[in-house]
Amino acid sequence: MASIQLEHVTKQYPGGVTAVDDFNLSIEDREFIILVGPSGCGKSTVLRMIAGLEEITSGEIFIGDRLVNEVAPKDRDIAMVFQNYALYPHMTVYKNMAFSLKLRKTPKAEIDEKVRAAAKILDIEALLDRKPRALSGGQRQRVALGRAMVRNPSAFLLDEPLSNLDAKLRTSMRAEITKLHQQLGTTFVYVTHDQTEAMTMGDRIAVIKDGVIQQIDTPQNLYDHPANLFVGGFIGSPQMNLIDATVKKVADRFFATFGETDVLIPPQVMGADVAASYEGKSIVIGIRPEFISEGGPHSDCDTTIAGDIDLAESMGAEKFIYFVCEGYPCIAKVPGKSGIQTGDHVSLTIDCSKMHIFDKESGLAISH
Amino acid sequence: MKIKKVLNRTVLYFLVLVIIVVTLAPYLWLVISSFSTKIELMSRQIFLIPHTITFANYKDLMSRDFIPAAMNSIIVTSSVVVISVIIGVLAAYAFSRFRFRGKNPLLNLSLFTQMIPPIALIIPMYIIFKRLDLINQRITLIMIYLSLVLPYLIWIMKSYIDVTPKTLEEAAMIDGCSRLKSFFFVVLPMISTGLAATVIFSFIITWNEFFYAFSLTKTLDAKTLPVLIYDFNSKFGANYVMSATAGVLASLPPVLIALLFQKYIITGLAAGAVKE
Ligand SMILES: Nc1ncnc2c1ncn2[C@@H]1O[C@H](COP(=O)(O)OP(=O)(O)O)[C@@H](O)[C@H]1O
Ligand SMILES: [Mg+2]
Repeated sequence: MASIQLEHVTKQYPGGVTAVDDFNLSIEDREFIILVGPSGCGKSTVLRMIAGLEEITSGEIFIGDRLVNEVAPKDRDIAMVFQNYALYPHMTVYKNMAFSLKLRKTPKAEIDEKVRAAAKILDIEALLDRKPRALSGGQRQRVALGRAMVRNPSAFLLDEPLSNLDAKLRTSMRAEITKLHQQLGTTFVYVTHDQTEAMTMGDRIAVIKDGVIQQIDTPQNLYDHPANLFVGGFIGSPQMNLIDATVKKVADRFFATFGETDVLIPPQVMGADVAASYEGKSIVIGIRPEFISEGGPHSDCDTTIAGDIDLAESMGAEKFIYFVCEGYPCIAKVPGKSGIQTGDHVSLTIDCSKMHIFDKESGLAISH
Repeated sequence: MKIKKVLNRTVLYFLVLVIIVVTLAPYLWLVISSFSTKIELMSRQIFLIPHTITFANYKDLMSRDFIPAAMNSIIVTSSVVVISVIIGVLAAYAFSRFRFRGKNPLLNLSLFTQMIPPIALIIPMYIIFKRLDLINQRITLIMIYLSLVLPYLIWIMKSYIDVTPKTLEEAAMIDGCSRLKSFFFVVLPMISTGLAATVIFSFIITWNEFFYAFSLTKTLDAKTLPVLIYDFNSKFGANYVMSATAGVLASLPPVLIALLFQKYIITGLAAGAVKE
């Protein structure tokens, strides 16, 4: 049980790649924090620096109150679950799980008790005498979790632990890991490139791009208030529709104009004074697919657009509608019972009050 | 269809038989010779079972410098095997896992030394060891044999360590190992197959080496079995019976070592370590 502090942490690999750049992250005790970002953005590097497997080029890392820059991995009191599981192939499941306790010279009876307790929680009691090669992917995953659990570490580090599992198993393991976190009451640092995992599991999410933290917040806040274009595009599925536009003033109202289309910028999205300062300038508007609906305007905040449907993809409960609006490919998410078919020409309505607006140049959000 | 299959089989078995005969016949003759009398062996007839089976040759051999020469062979070979495995595996680990200046040139250089024919090296070596007063000493042979087997050992072990996932060691280090401990608990078991193979390899190379031993030893202070066997055919006249008998005995340790380490050569040990 411990908090983890990263202060101005930078990692430069030999060869000049700056994998992590001036990282500041404060993880609270017992928190479930997620590091999410596209492949190669430096997530693993951050985790490995916390674990002590990678040297820190500059900056400081604290676990609890202790500066751990120079502390060996074995003395950091952390456990790690690797993406490829990294089970010891020459040891049985039992020995894999008992290994760390044995190294700490824990009495045999206590080792046995702890291993069996962890095996029970993870439902792998029947596998204890098997070697890793005789296990399925999901079982290996559980053993890897078990090996981390037995030690009762002050923090769990998990590097894409579910990415090698099939979709169904991934969904159920997601719930199990969340449950495990509640049961153990330990700090979890969880790395993933999958925004769905991030959104469903974490207390807080740190979105990373090119080694730089873009935004740290709760899943709901990231969804509601993305700080920049990248976060807006990364969080949410299907992806937010992003359209280049210009601010135009008509009467005393402001519009985002692209092609022939004018989309109202309601005052609750962007105040009149801010909007005025952007008049004539380039912006990017972001509209989540779930805020584009079928049919005419439902309130005076709505803007109606017309579109030819390229593809209507039915997911059962909902339908993804792919269409092109003024040259921009867009997606709308409508209820599954909607009658829209591929090839239809329909009018769609944007709920402008849910619109996000970004500065085109800096990419930063300028809407509330 | 069936005929073709039978024919294929027949040809295959015939070839296997030929290979077995070609490989085993000389050895069989060696064994037969060792139990024969000198007179019968000289009778210019090929036979499978001698008229008079005698153990006298073995008894005779014991009074003919066999024991001290065998001791030399055992001391030299076991030293070389033990030292080469320790140094070789640690060096291979360093070459595989660490970045350091001159790594690749060093690695290539070590193999390059093996391309020079021993005949070209023996004179400078003789002169050097003579100056150091190291002629006719076991330590000299040990040093030379180490230089023979180490490059191969390092290359082979490096390739085994290269394919051992790094994350296993990292997992061990997080589980509470120092780097050295993770090497012993995790890496070593993973490369045991290669280790067994290289032990057999070093043993056979060293045990059978003749050229350097012949050139750099004079007396039983350092003379090894291959040199002794040669001596039987030159110094004391062509004593085929003695050289055959010594040959049979000298062939036993490599066979024993191979059998002993065979059980460690289990393939597929690494399967299931990490998700491919
Ligand atoms: N050992 C290494 N040496 C050099 N560059 C590396 C090394 N490991 C990772 N990198 C680089 O650092 C960046 C971040 O890598 P990583 O942390 O593995 O990303 P992620 O886990 O987010 O996919 C990548 O550009 C990668 O190529
Ligand atoms: Mg990674």
